[in-house]
Amino acid sequence: MLEKYMILSIILFSIGIVGLISRRNIIVIYMSIELLLNAVNLSLIAISADTADASAQVVSMLIIAITASEAALFMALFVVLFRNKASLDVNLFDILGNKR
Amino acid sequence: MQSDSIFFLLALITIVSSIVMISAHRPIDSALSFIVTLVSIAALFALVNATFLFVVQIIIYAGAILSLILFIIMFLNIKDENLPDERYKNYWLLGTSLIVAPFSFILIDLILRSNIALKAQISEEFGTIKDVGLTLFDKWILPFELVSILLLVALIGAVILSKKEA
Repeated sequence: MLEKYMILSIILFSIGIVGLISRRNIIVIYMSIELLLNAVNLSLIAISADTADASAQVVSMLIIAITASEAALFMALFVVLFRNKASLDVNLFDILGNKR
Repeated sequence: MQSDSIFFLLALITIVSSIVMISAHRPIDSALSFIVTLVSIAALFALVNATFLFVVQIIIYAGAILSLILFIIMFLNIKDENLPDERYKNYWLLGTSLIVAPFSFILIDLILRSNIALKAQISEEFGTIKDVGLTLFDKWILPFELVSILLLVALIGAVILSKKEA
């Protein structure tokens, strides 16, 4: 069972990397980062079930907590960027001052 | 094997919905298909008896974080002209997957060649809230406290970022 979970985790991680590199919409980029973290969580849970040790589950729980704090920051960032630039294009976010 | 067929069904749902997630044009479509991905990953957690993490994944990810994303997407009032003009999106996706695919093939080949599974016998208590909680407060107490500080810092940062400038 562990091999299958690891292979699925690798596939999900690759999909997340592809989305992270090739998209320009900042919300999709954020969700690709979430997908990467979920792929890591999946492999951690599989390792935890394979070794019958709960430590990997605790690490995965800490990752979920870090993701929650990241989500709060990203949401604030979306609101600020959209208020300033009226767009979701990451190519426009290289100048973050008041110049339009 | 019943759990094998359930695993393949869930893996198929996960992969297809994540591909839809990275290739949808409108962010609301990708958020909705990301919910499907997260729920099926939670079901994959339950398949290996990690019941507490299953509940955490459903409540925090699919419940809190994704509803926050949906709320923000709807709240921002995004119209089509606010979206980036991604005319060559499909070529970008194709090219990037051509670059990433060899690495993942190497990793999958490595997993298939090496014999990593220990197949330890899991006890009745594995994955319950008691098991996870005892491990958390026994061996991982310092990272737990650090994560609480991190959450506080992120909260303050979010408030300061979204404050309207005077």
